[in-house]
Amino acid sequence: MNEGLLRRGAAAAGQLARRLAQALPVLLVVAVVTFALLHLLPGDPAVMIAGDQANPEVIARIRADLGLDRPLIEQLLRWLYALVQGDFGRSLMLNQSVLSAVVERLPVTFSLAVLSLAITLPIGIVLGASAAYHRGTWLDSLVMGVALLGVSVPSFWIGIVSILIFGAVLHWLPTGGYVPIGMGLRPWLACLVQPAVVLALFQIGFLARLTRSAMLEALQQDYIRTARAKGLGEWLTVARHAFRNTLIPVMTATGIIISLLIGGSVIVEQVFALPGMGRLVVQAIMARDYPLVQGTMLLFGFAFVLINLAIDTLYVLVDPRVRYG
Amino acid sequence: MARAAATLRRLARHTSFRIGFVLILLLALAAGLAPLITAEAPTAMHLRLRFRPPSFAAPFGTDLFGRDLLTRVLYGGRLSLWIGFATAVLSSMIGAVVGILSAQYRRIDAVTMRVMDGLMAFPAILLAIGVSAALGPQTGSVIAALTFSYAPRTARVVRASALVIRELDYVDAARVAGVTDLRLMLRHILPNCMGPLLVQFSFTFAYAILAESALSFIGVGPPPPAPSWGNIIAEGRDYTIEAWWIMLFPGIAISLASLGMNLLGDGLRDLLDPRLRLDG
Amino acid sequence: MTSSIARFVRRSGFGLALLLGSTALAPAQTRGGMAIDANVGGPGTFDPAMIATTIELETLNQMYEGLVMMGEDYRAKPMLASKVDVSPDGMTYRFSLRHGVKFHNGKEMTSADVLATYERYARISPNAVVLANVARYEAPDPYSFVIHLKVASGIFLDILKSPAYPLVIYPAEFKDKPARDPDLTVGTGPFRYGEWQKDSHFIMRRFDGYVADDSAPGPDGYAGRKTVYLDAVRYNFVPEANARVAALQAGDADVAPTLPPELLARFNGRADIAVEKVFPGCQNVLLLSAGNPPTNNVLIRRAIAAVVNAQDIADASGQITRENPSILYAESPYYDAAAVKPYYSQNNPAKAKALLAEAGYKGEKIVLQTNSNYSYMRDEILVLAEQMKAAGMNAEVQVVDWMTNANNMAGRAAGWNISTSGFCSQPLLGPQQWRNMVYNFANIKGDTALDTAYDAFFASVGVDDRRKAWLAAEQIILGNAYFIKIADAGSVFAYSKKLSGIRPWYNIRFWNVSKQ
Repeated sequence: MNEGLLRRGAAAAGQLARRLAQALPVLLVVAVVTFALLHLLPGDPAVMIAGDQANPEVIARIRADLGLDRPLIEQLLRWLYALVQGDFGRSLMLNQSVLSAVVERLPVTFSLAVLSLAITLPIGIVLGASAAYHRGTWLDSLVMGVALLGVSVPSFWIGIVSILIFGAVLHWLPTGGYVPIGMGLRPWLACLVQPAVVLALFQIGFLARLTRSAMLEALQQDYIRTARAKGLGEWLTVARHAFRNTLIPVMTATGIIISLLIGGSVIVEQVFALPGMGRLVVQAIMARDYPLVQGTMLLFGFAFVLINLAIDTLYVLVDPRVRYG
Repeated sequence: MARAAATLRRLARHTSFRIGFVLILLLALAAGLAPLITAEAPTAMHLRLRFRPPSFAAPFGTDLFGRDLLTRVLYGGRLSLWIGFATAVLSSMIGAVVGILSAQYRRIDAVTMRVMDGLMAFPAILLAIGVSAALGPQTGSVIAALTFSYAPRTARVVRASALVIRELDYVDAARVAGVTDLRLMLRHILPNCMGPLLVQFSFTFAYAILAESALSFIGVGPPPPAPSWGNIIAEGRDYTIEAWWIMLFPGIAISLASLGMNLLGDGLRDLLDPRLRLDG
Repeated sequence: MTSSIARFVRRSGFGLALLLGSTALAPAQTRGGMAIDANVGGPGTFDPAMIATTIELETLNQMYEGLVMMGEDYRAKPMLASKVDVSPDGMTYRFSLRHGVKFHNGKEMTSADVLATYERYARISPNAVVLANVARYEAPDPYSFVIHLKVASGIFLDILKSPAYPLVIYPAEFKDKPARDPDLTVGTGPFRYGEWQKDSHFIMRRFDGYVADDSAPGPDGYAGRKTVYLDAVRYNFVPEANARVAALQAGDADVAPTLPPELLARFNGRADIAVEKVFPGCQNVLLLSAGNPPTNNVLIRRAIAAVVNAQDIADASGQITRENPSILYAESPYYDAAAVKPYYSQNNPAKAKALLAEAGYKGEKIVLQTNSNYSYMRDEILVLAEQMKAAGMNAEVQVVDWMTNANNMAGRAAGWNISTSGFCSQPLLGPQQWRNMVYNFANIKGDTALDTAYDAFFASVGVDDRRKAWLAAEQIILGNAYFIKIADAGSVFAYSKKLSGIRPWYNIRFWNVSKQ
């Protein structure tokens, strides 16, 4: 048993290394695609910087200062060359390094995502699994009804209503803004709990439905019948066999949930005035802040590649049946 | 033929499917027959009748331009349902092909999953903002951006299922019996992936409708003055309390469409998935 | 995201309330406390040579001061200069600096700092063109600064008072800093830079070493004697109007600016919250491209002006608005509403049809370009499109994002005919501030009558001559329908009565304000 786990662990580590190497070209693709998409956009950061008194000469001068008058291919190569040296460039709109801009905002989005995920995973899985187990009963209908509601209402609508109720009327929670965890756990939680729950509502519905469906499939499998026939206790059968096989789709879903969380955070950060990554990127796109958008997208890309790698690797650990070749 | 007929008969008896089907049918009919239900044009303004609450003359009230909201919600359904449908169909097709091929061929898997990872690295909303800014806000760029975002997710789910199915005994048996790869994928793996694919389809449809409203909220949804459920809500966002009807009715429409699509998908899954029988 | 073209924080005003609410009548003010302002968005930089957005203007003008600044009546008032001597020929301006004024870093401000500031401004500011008329500077002693002009000017001080791209003074050691350098935060103002977390908040603190202008009786716009009672002011950046209102209701904020008027009912029954509606704030103007067909034809532009029902467009903008046919305000010495009234809100589709027939209009597409970022612009364009269609014009609404929209306007791009924007500082500051906008946005080339009028405006030393020149220019701008005036838009803000001493004006200022 131990030896088997060890061997699988080693295989997983080897696969992880291979995948990491494979990830590099993907990141290059992400980088080039972002660059290309961004430079396709009409509009010019120099106009934004120059403001309303700008005339064509001023704009031309700012363009030259920023290196935006050079050929695109030269700009791309310069950026990639700097990237290789770990230099993500300087934001045009913030006038600070892209990396430091991201580092400033990362804790906000990270806190929001982690808290939201911490709410989503246990609730979603338990709801989904119990609905599957009690299939066809009132509990199943209730849980699925709640899950459906969660995935059917626009999050910004819930967010605005929530601020009006819990902030303006009841005064239970702040109406927006962010307090770093360094200023105390309670204020940190107080400012994040509303956005995190709003974000989680959708994901809970999503996960509960997916878990239920995967669990139902697992419960139908022959080996469950076999286990039951062998007289293994009902709880053990479900926990050890059915639930374990449910984990694969649930893990796949977790990757999706994380990406939905980041996407959703764009909206939620806007509603709750949180200074996170989502707001940063939206503003950067709107302002045509090329280095900032390129840098953040690349970092997003890197994070996602890593998360999916981790999930792929976990497959191998959780499900001995999944092998390659 | 007989099997298909039997399936259809069972579908017609399935409660969730029936509810979902009726919901979607009603919404689609209401949108399709909008000109018969209301004589108003969806962009016609009556600036003397701004912010009127629901009444007999205007059952859903009017918005900040005095436009009739019932008319706008009906016509808005055309755009929103179209965006949901087009996104779901495109995502499912791309996702199924990529997912099954990836599960079957390791070489393809190495490339496609990396590309899918790369695409998934762009959160849907951000990708849509970029695409909309590049192409100008228009329905086509909303669909394109959402498809870019959801097809990889579908592909991943299909691939995960296909990987498990591939290892099942009877698939092994078929392989040993010399069945060609194409036949194996089409006859054995694809049908067994239909459950997750349909769940994904229903989710993508529902999520695309929600995402359309989120994009409208950020300002990159379908452009005005043509109504969509999302841009009606977004236009009413500042008046949550004072003119609650602006956000309420399209919000209900979105929720009903999403609900209907999910129920429809549930029913299809229960009945089409060969391993899941209701009486099992 | 914001540019001053689209200044969406709009507040300003010079009303009766202000005249009555003098500090003498205010209750005794206590020291200490922090005021919180739930603002729409945050600043991008504190480099005075570069700032133009409303929030930048609002914060920066409380931290920095210029030789002259804009007074409550919008005229130039002495600030760091105790007096200005203008030579009889109007060519030389001699500023005597106040003694003992301290920068936030503790150093005394002298003419060397003024010189360095002006030279850096001329080198890097997008607005540097306003100093093009300067022949040379002189700093004969630490407390004197002299500007020699190339051509006599009667409006030079009006240029120096501008709060947008302000000519405010910072230490000479910053003279080689590049544009938007983050170190540029040091001024002589009564507040100093505290803490800035982008997209979250900005805090400015009381500058205890502040040397007030004791020669003035009290605060006067951005000039005068300023006394700070608060320890600090915190600006939270809250983009959603609902959330700004909720923040004030819940006590999370003391001031909530830029509120849609429909939301004000939420403060009903709240005796502890005051609501202010101030005029003038900004102006909403339609811009027509004279460079792109079919609006390159003046008859078609005039036809569009003829269909406009300004009241309906203004109502849809979701702002409080007032009729005003001019692109200036009544407070301006150049204001003459009667002269431009015929061009305003004509609401005359029959005239439009006649003009279209005369122009030989055959249903060519007229593109109304607007953006998704500023709802008031979008909503105005949607109403205009309906008005144009009713008169038989082929109006097509095109929604792009703000950057594209702004680029197309400022860059004289093809593909659009009508757009719209809100202008805040230009109408307040007057004709000299309008010139760039008018020529650029309407894409005007070869209108010699307008050129002549504007040249006469800048060359005239006497006020009456300038007035005449400007009236000619404004009649061309509106009569040829380069611009179509919609309305003046006021600003709406609400604040907690825990604050005393808030004086509604062009921008909110936190000096002479205290918190219970």
